[in-house]
Amino acid sequence: MSKVLSKTDSEIFKSPREKDLLSHITSTSLKYKIWIAVLLVFVVFGLIGYYRQLKFGLVVTAMRDYTSWGIYISNFVFFVAISLVGSLFSSILKLNKNEWSRPLTRISEIIAVSAIICAAVIIIVDMGRPDRFFYVIRYLRIQSPIIWDVIIISTYLVISFLLLYISMLPDLGLCRDRLTSVPRWKKKLYRILALNWNDNPRQWKKLQKINKILAITVLPVAFAIHTITSWLFATTWRPGWDSTNLGPYFVSGAFMAGAAIIIVAMYFIREHMNLGRYITQGHFDKMSKLLVLLSLVYLYFNINEYLGPAFKMVGVEGEHITELFVGNYAPMYWLVQIGGLVLPIILLLFKPLRKPLPAFVISMLVLLGAWFKRFLIVIPSLQHPYLPIQGVDESYLHYNPTWEEWAITISSFAWFLLIITFLVKIFPVIPVKKEEAFIKSNSNSQSDNDEI
Amino acid sequence: MENDTNQDSSRRKFLKNLSAGSMITLTGMACTSVSCKQNSGEKTTLMTTDGKLVQVSNSEIEAMEHQHHPATPAEAREGIPGKKFVMVVDLAKCKNAKKCVEACDHTHNLTPDRPYIKVLEMQDNEKSAPYWMPKKCFQCDNPPCVKVCPVGATYKRTDGIVLVDNERCIGCRFCMAACPYSARVFNWGEPPREDENIPYSPETSVPSKIGTVGKCDFCPDMLRQNKLPHCVTSCPNGVIYFGDEIDDTVTNGVETVRLSTLLKEKAGYRYMEELGTKPRVYYLPPVDRLFPFEKDTELNSES
Amino acid sequence: MPLLNAQEAEEEYQDALVTLSFLEEDDSKIIRATARDMEGNPITDLELYFYVQRTFSLLPIGDFINFTDENGMVEVEFPGDLPGDKEGHVKIIVKLQDSDSYNDLTVERIKNWGIPTPVDQFEEKRSLWAAAANAPIALVLATSGMILAVWSIIGYIIFILFKISKLNKVNT
Repeated sequence: MSKVLSKTDSEIFKSPREKDLLSHITSTSLKYKIWIAVLLVFVVFGLIGYYRQLKFGLVVTAMRDYTSWGIYISNFVFFVAISLVGSLFSSILKLNKNEWSRPLTRISEIIAVSAIICAAVIIIVDMGRPDRFFYVIRYLRIQSPIIWDVIIISTYLVISFLLLYISMLPDLGLCRDRLTSVPRWKKKLYRILALNWNDNPRQWKKLQKINKILAITVLPVAFAIHTITSWLFATTWRPGWDSTNLGPYFVSGAFMAGAAIIIVAMYFIREHMNLGRYITQGHFDKMSKLLVLLSLVYLYFNINEYLGPAFKMVGVEGEHITELFVGNYAPMYWLVQIGGLVLPIILLLFKPLRKPLPAFVISMLVLLGAWFKRFLIVIPSLQHPYLPIQGVDESYLHYNPTWEEWAITISSFAWFLLIITFLVKIFPVIPVKKEEAFIKSNSNSQSDNDEI
Repeated sequence: MENDTNQDSSRRKFLKNLSAGSMITLTGMACTSVSCKQNSGEKTTLMTTDGKLVQVSNSEIEAMEHQHHPATPAEAREGIPGKKFVMVVDLAKCKNAKKCVEACDHTHNLTPDRPYIKVLEMQDNEKSAPYWMPKKCFQCDNPPCVKVCPVGATYKRTDGIVLVDNERCIGCRFCMAACPYSARVFNWGEPPREDENIPYSPETSVPSKIGTVGKCDFCPDMLRQNKLPHCVTSCPNGVIYFGDEIDDTVTNGVETVRLSTLLKEKAGYRYMEELGTKPRVYYLPPVDRLFPFEKDTELNSES
Repeated sequence: MPLLNAQEAEEEYQDALVTLSFLEEDDSKIIRATARDMEGNPITDLELYFYVQRTFSLLPIGDFINFTDENGMVEVEFPGDLPGDKEGHVKIIVKLQDSDSYNDLTVERIKNWGIPTPVDQFEEKRSLWAAAANAPIALVLATSGMILAVWSIIGYIIFILFKISKLNKVNT
């Protein structure tokens, strides 16, 4: 490794690609600092809310005996859904040999890691006794779907980290070699994480092998994580939950939300990191088409989820449907179903709306719809038990989240964005080294690294 | 049972019951056993086996009071050997007196806004007559709440009772979502303080703990002493029958009948049998009612 | 409802003697109670109460009212389908109470006339609602199989990563 300290960028980086994709690590803009500060403000609000919840108990929330799960759980489901995006890119699109989606793999893996961390933390926030968290391991009952969820979330967390890490290993070596003017802790970080990576063809070969194994492994695990999350609901008798459709319904909804968040992330990276050359209009076009496809699948499962019960109108199931279709939750329900699902499908069919800005706006609609959809899945179901709700305090009949719940939920988004921002800031967000290019040239000429 | 007006013989009978150690129950729950002992000059109204009320000085009760310490969480996991407790609720007799709710709230130190027992106003359809339905935990034999508990904080005992261990509960509330009968309540905040510093027992459900779940427990601390749960003895109308399925016998404190006969003759049923939860609480349909259905608006805050 | 004072005394009552005999004929089981006074004369028209001891209370058996006949005898049929304990033992209780001329009396006998109740197999049952140790075998095998499969892949990948870190530039 050559020690070069006082060279200009052009001398440090061996190609324009390296310069484009690595320079954001070395320079920090004011915009970035403001962004971090804003996120930290939200995080602090959430911490205040959580402090109050720890002190007084879950009584600070609007949850009560009937609505015993609230926006913490719907937010948890949302983050689990978002985390599936990693598998969409690293597995489905990769194994199908989609070249265009390669630059998006890293960001999807980063989002997946961040989302699954947030999901795991939120479920602890929802616990009445977080001090007893380790009872889950100590007194583990394998019969409980919560235990299945704990197992699969921890597994997926590890796999998500591995996916991100393994595909980034050559780039980490590059960071270690090129980024010589960064602070000492970063140098040390790159050196440790790079694992003596030296573009040795045998290293490349091994890496390719485990990359492929992982790409195949992540797929069933990703399906399992959201299917099991749906079983937290489907194993009960609540109207709207008591459905065999719930697994695919959740998984398809997750892929839709995942595609939407990638478009949003693409827009930010393109706008704020000057990477228009790498994330092109074509990417927005293709991602928008993918979003339409995934939304259509979700729409299909939505129709399946609601048509049967709405046709039969059996007991509380019928009450629940009435509440959603024409009752108290009707405005939110139709906004979510039309504004967050049907309308985006229609709009994205038009080519001009698949350009970066309109695609970004439509994807935000989809994401908002996805969040509130999970609210509609969790809360109204709990308000229609088999036995009538009587003789309880007025506050038990409704659910309007308190400021503590909103503060904690919003801060979970701040955390989510902070983790993404941190990872994007210290690592190249678009893969710098293309393994195929390397392998091809390497097998031809047996020459050393830096073929890009 | 016949009614006797002879004071002497009733007194003799009462004393015999005392010596036989048979069922004598405190009614009115106004004083707990511990506080009764302290002011022994006072008198307490007691109910004898055949439902008569007699007044005796507290020093006499003391003789038959068992020194009973509540079961520890570990002990409470074992059911009472050889028993399968069962309850029958006669809907024809309930007039929403809510004495069961009061007695339960008192013994379990509950606030009135989230009782273990609810007396629900039910009407199966527009044409059918409304009736009162006392509802507690059904102690299901295929309990959805126990299935979903990740840590075994709620568990099924050999005697059929489903209990909650507040010292193990992590507060995930999955059991509340899983229970189709909304039988469970949660300690959202700090539960009301108790004066006495008694050790926690899942069999008494007191003192309950913040951030954990609670529900009707069939009062196993009473059952261990061969005494009926508080809701049974506090009911003025003999609505609730309680007993052992293996005995094939239930009693409401006044009359003792065979479970199989009662269910056969009065067409006993279990609420929402189709869910397959196999409840241990049976209902007798509200036919030939003892009381007209009267809605007291003060007692019921309808949703 | 009469509220009584527990400190009064009584004297004008006599003691009575009740003896029990148990008859088994074909399918029916009969409890025969014979009431005599202290001189050995049968007591006629004496009301006796027949019970079987249950967990919380006494289960009345026989007719609604059971009076002794001219021989001082009354017979009550024991219900043939009443459960007893594990061996079928039941405690039969006959009471003389609230009589105008005799002191209260209780006679108890344990007979094996009940249906033996089977020993509960509850503890050994594996089920979804059982304790952690009694989880269904299929569930335990399926979950541990899946966990093992995925985590051994993860372990293998970490092992390969370790090997990658040990590879030096051999080709240069």
